[in-house]
Amino acid sequence: MKNKSKFSSSIALLFRYHPEFGALAGLVLVFIIFCFTATRFLSIESIAGIVTVASELGIIAAGVTFLMITGEFDLSVGTTFGFSAMILAITAKAGIPLWIGFLLALSAAFFIGLVNGIITVKYKIPSFITTLGAMMFWRGILLAVTGGFAIRYWGTSSFLYGLNGHFLGELRTSAIWFFAIIFLLNVILVKTPYGNATYATGGNKEAARILGISVDKIKITNFIICAMLAGLAGCIQFARFHSVDPIRGTGMELEAIAAVVVGGTLMNGGYGNLIGTLFGVLLMGMVRSGLIMSGAPAYWYQAFIGIILVLAVIINTKLKGWAIK
Amino acid sequence: MRDFSKNRIIFLFVIVCLTTLLFGGIVEAKTFNFYVVSHGGPGDPFWGVVMKGMKEGAEAITKGTDDTIKAIYSGPAKYSVEELVNMLNSAIATKPDGIAVTITDTAALDAPLRKAIAAGIPVIAINVPDPRPEAERIPYLFYVGGDEYLSGKKAAQRILAVRKPKKAVVTVHEIGHMGLELRAKGFIEVMTANGVPAEKLATYLDPTQAIEILKGYFAKNPDTDAIFSLGSIDSAYVITFLKEQGLDGKVIHGGFDVSEEVVHSIKEGTTLFTISQQQYLQGYLPMQFLYLLNKYKFLPANDVLTGPGFIDASNVKSVEELVMQKFW
Repeated sequence: MKNKSKFSSSIALLFRYHPEFGALAGLVLVFIIFCFTATRFLSIESIAGIVTVASELGIIAAGVTFLMITGEFDLSVGTTFGFSAMILAITAKAGIPLWIGFLLALSAAFFIGLVNGIITVKYKIPSFITTLGAMMFWRGILLAVTGGFAIRYWGTSSFLYGLNGHFLGELRTSAIWFFAIIFLLNVILVKTPYGNATYATGGNKEAARILGISVDKIKITNFIICAMLAGLAGCIQFARFHSVDPIRGTGMELEAIAAVVVGGTLMNGGYGNLIGTLFGVLLMGMVRSGLIMSGAPAYWYQAFIGIILVLAVIINTKLKGWAIK
Repeated sequence: MRDFSKNRIIFLFVIVCLTTLLFGGIVEAKTFNFYVVSHGGPGDPFWGVVMKGMKEGAEAITKGTDDTIKAIYSGPAKYSVEELVNMLNSAIATKPDGIAVTITDTAALDAPLRKAIAAGIPVIAINVPDPRPEAERIPYLFYVGGDEYLSGKKAAQRILAVRKPKKAVVTVHEIGHMGLELRAKGFIEVMTANGVPAEKLATYLDPTQAIEILKGYFAKNPDTDAIFSLGSIDSAYVITFLKEQGLDGKVIHGGFDVSEEVVHSIKEGTTLFTISQQQYLQGYLPMQFLYLLNKYKFLPANDVLTGPGFIDASNVKSVEELVMQKFW
């Protein structure tokens, strides 16, 4: 700290306590670039579109953030997303009231998260492996049960509208859910003892244990939160399309992890927050929309996300190293 | 005494008859193992119908003859050429009595298939043929499936017959799939030849993102008034997109493959047509052909084209029920 000027010390402090700052800087930069290159990028439709994509991915990513701060991974969120949506679709089609189907879908997600957590914690195997297995297993069940066919529900209801309907023109209620979840989880993370325990579990497990934190319980709970949010996102998407195919959600786990990492959360735990994830998902949605509106072939999207991901991690790591010095 | 010997003769006669029937049956009856190896996993509704065709084709033989058909379907859950090759190699290793396979990637499938054919395993191409000239292509017996390139051309002609669009776009949900690329090629060629600019747009698999991609594309190209979607998954997104944006009726939509949603959309008038390869036949017929080949050495003289067939307002009612029963 001695070598730094007062100004750079305050910047260092900013990065130390605000992991989201890098993602926000990236978001602003990308936004400015696209304002010049993309047609109709600065329109309400375009911004609403970015928020809509960010909402579903972001609800998943919020759970992934929580879990990643605890030092664990969940690769099965894409599958849980599809699995819960399918349960809601099947029950809706069978004429069961939607709110019961919704609760069943969330219960299934709860169960998937619980099993992921218990196996990871009790058998001390990397969550990367546990959840990779879960991803394959539950997707397999989904394929076997549906025989590969999509389920289409033809009814309409205010319940589904509440989950993901239109309001104020181009905006969708999924955005309300998304912002509410980000806000709520961030309050839990930053202001409550549970949030402290989550950081401590991911930062230094032994120290956390000595402080009397039940590390295993915290981890299992966060696995459940992560899975249930993925399930909720699946139901929210179903509410808009009224149909689910059995490969729904494939690849979403990686997009969610990418968004969380871009948002400044460290993969080995102990550092990160929800605001960073909010900026991370918005950044990813913006890159996709912006590229298409700039006239770049949609095939380029993945290549750009790849570059942004690696750049973001390099910058975040450097900044964090510098800020802590 | 006389009664006793008479009974004994009848008894012996019955035993001889039963034995002949029983052993005759055992000697004649055989079990044939057939594989369907495809690039499409059980998650794609299109392949669900092929699987149903395969299962019912095999069952029809097992029920109707003394022989038994064991039919096994394998395909990667997510499009992957490597996994397709691995699955094919596993199938070949069991030395089956026949394989029906999709030639999605000639470079990757050439070597394993030539090896299988050299080892005497009958190979039928289904769904996607080897597009190279006959002298260069994998020497499979024949092809059962649609003609992708022709389908794309017909789709463009069908749209042009209604109205000449200002600009047309083709949505691609599985990038790099040769069959989809051929459909797009046929479509774009006919459109371009008629003075309509047309191009491909990658939409991927997630519906929310696909719709935003379409919205972005329409913001950049607002004069687009025709969409050709290459499969039932992206047809569903396109239909939702058109309805949400109030573009149904203004933008002509032609699709590929059949689903409950597309049928509904044709009835409503949002979708003009969808092309079917009648893919049930791509599962059913290989079972029959491979059986007839193994048993009686029969071979058809030519490829068997199962498509393109069109579903539009004129015939949608007659196939609707069959779509529900997963035949289409």
